[in-house]
Amino acid sequence: MKGKNCTWMNNYDCDILIVGSGPAGATLARYAAAAGLSVLLVDKRQELGAPIQCSGAVSRHALEEVGIPLDEEFILEAIYGFAIYDQSGSATRIDYRQLKGDEYGEGEGKKPLGYVVDRRRFDRYLMTLAERSGAETWLKTEGLGYRTLPDGRCEVSLRNFNRLLSVRCKVLVGADGLQSQVGKWAGLQTHIKITELAGCLQFIVDQVETDGLLEIITGHEWAPGGYAWVFPKGHGYAEIGLGVISTMTDHNAQWHLDKFIQQSFFKDRFRNCRILEIQGGGVPLAAPLRTQYADNLILVGDAARHVNPITGGGIHTALSGAKVAADFLVSHLAGGQQQDFSAAQLKGYQDAWLAAIGNKMWELYHQKTKVFHQEDIPTRDAYLYRTMSDYFDPNSPYKKV
Amino acid sequence: MSKLQPVIFDIGWNACINCGACVAICPQEAGFISPFDTIAVDRPCDIACLLCENICPTGTISHRPVAEGDPPRPPERGSWLAPQHPNGTSEERMPPKH
Ligand SMILES: Cc1cc2nc3c(=O)[nH]c(=O)nc-3n(C[C@H](O)[C@H](O)[C@H](O)COP(=O)(O)OP(=O)(O)OC[C@H]3O[C@@H](n4cnc5c(N)ncnc54)[C@H](O)[C@@H]3O)c2cc1C
Ligand code: SF4
Ligand code: SF4
Repeated sequence: MKGKNCTWMNNYDCDILIVGSGPAGATLARYAAAAGLSVLLVDKRQELGAPIQCSGAVSRHALEEVGIPLDEEFILEAIYGFAIYDQSGSATRIDYRQLKGDEYGEGEGKKPLGYVVDRRRFDRYLMTLAERSGAETWLKTEGLGYRTLPDGRCEVSLRNFNRLLSVRCKVLVGADGLQSQVGKWAGLQTHIKITELAGCLQFIVDQVETDGLLEIITGHEWAPGGYAWVFPKGHGYAEIGLGVISTMTDHNAQWHLDKFIQQSFFKDRFRNCRILEIQGGGVPLAAPLRTQYADNLILVGDAARHVNPITGGGIHTALSGAKVAADFLVSHLAGGQQQDFSAAQLKGYQDAWLAAIGNKMWELYHQKTKVFHQEDIPTRDAYLYRTMSDYFDPNSPYKKV
Repeated sequence: MSKLQPVIFDIGWNACINCGACVAICPQEAGFISPFDTIAVDRPCDIACLLCENICPTGTISHRPVAEGDPPRPPERGSWLAPQHPNGTSEERMPPKH
């Protein structure tokens, strides 16, 4: 491969090599490259975001906070609030069009609370922003391993279209999502408990009406250990999904989703639903990693388990955590004098992250743990319903997580 | 059958949605993955905790005990792989700059 636009090459040198171009990796790449660092962003996929393992709900604030234009290219539908259901179908509606009607709504001068984005287009868009800021981006490039070098840098082996390549960098960033291998390369404790990873399945469907709200359905009957959801998906489509904790049920997510569609209080609403796409994934309802750094290496996004333990949402935390990481790396590498990329130095990233976001996530984790420590199912269901309703309340202290 | 006996997994690819949940829960060392973002199916797993089977949203992972004639464990991955020439010999690496 030759030519300026296909510069996959062996023995490449850069300041920062980022493995994984999801929301976290691409955002870190954009900020670091814009500040003048040489950045290589690699992803093993051929089409970012595909196959989709995400529902794509994200607040407007989360996008604006990290300078992402609200572009039609990736937005599927605007969101104006939430509806939280208990097991029997009674709901708490938190519709900002009613609560703060002068600010939120469809009309001129009003704005949405958030969006449902198409992760295929969103991730591609974020990579494009990184590239336009000066980052080098390589698709079909899988990170395989790394080793530290005597000069204080590290060397990373990559596979690109079946060729093994070696790249040297000062700091390797693991932004490789929940299936993260980069943390394992460094021997970090990345294991998730089976009681804290929800197995999720979701159908994109036609013939189910929605109303600009993210609907969340709690209750052991429908989604043991997790919750079910109905999200607007644009073009008149909807998404019906749920996540379950496998130790709390003898069945898999697919069985529960079928049951939810056929037997729940929404069965009439879902009667004519037609499945257009099938997606899924694992959602950690877990704490952040205790150690998110090693020699020449930091982790961001899902790889560091920067995921909201109550909602399972991880786009906002991936974006804002990536900005914290970029700010840290830019100042740490400033001037090119700094040659110490040891774990002791990179711990500064985690400290900055805890102060900005992490400590709040730990609080949420403790709240979530209290819910699931309730052994009695009706008590737990009531507690989860209340926790979810409080979480999405306009006066909740956690709006920003 | 004791769960601690090494097992080999079979994935019903028709039902697999490439969601990666099995890899996310798996406590194996780095690199115990298939080219389709699932746990490896071409070598035995000696941990055999079966968490991957439990988490799978479509329940499409199954296992059997390792039998004679099964492929051995290949060498460990994840730590370092030297770039290779197409003929398989290790490439001479450039001395580091600076
Ligand atoms: C079913 C489901 C629904 C969800 N819904 C929501 C939601 O509505 N709202 C929300 O905020 N969050 C949601 N999440 C969570 C959200 O998807 C993640 O938190 C978010 O994608 C994390 O971003 P990331 O950049 O850390 O990682 P990812 O988006 O996972 O990106 C990781 C990237 O790394 C690449 N990669 C992995 N390994 C390698 C390697 N070795 N070499 C090269 N590249 C590699 C992958 O190809 C991928 O592109 C959901 C998750 C699931 C599973
Ligand atoms: S049995 Fe356990 S260790 Fe083995 S592949 Fe499955 S999850 Fe991984
Ligand atoms: S958890 Fe199941 S559906 Fe998901 S990738 Fe693994 S085998 Fe496929």
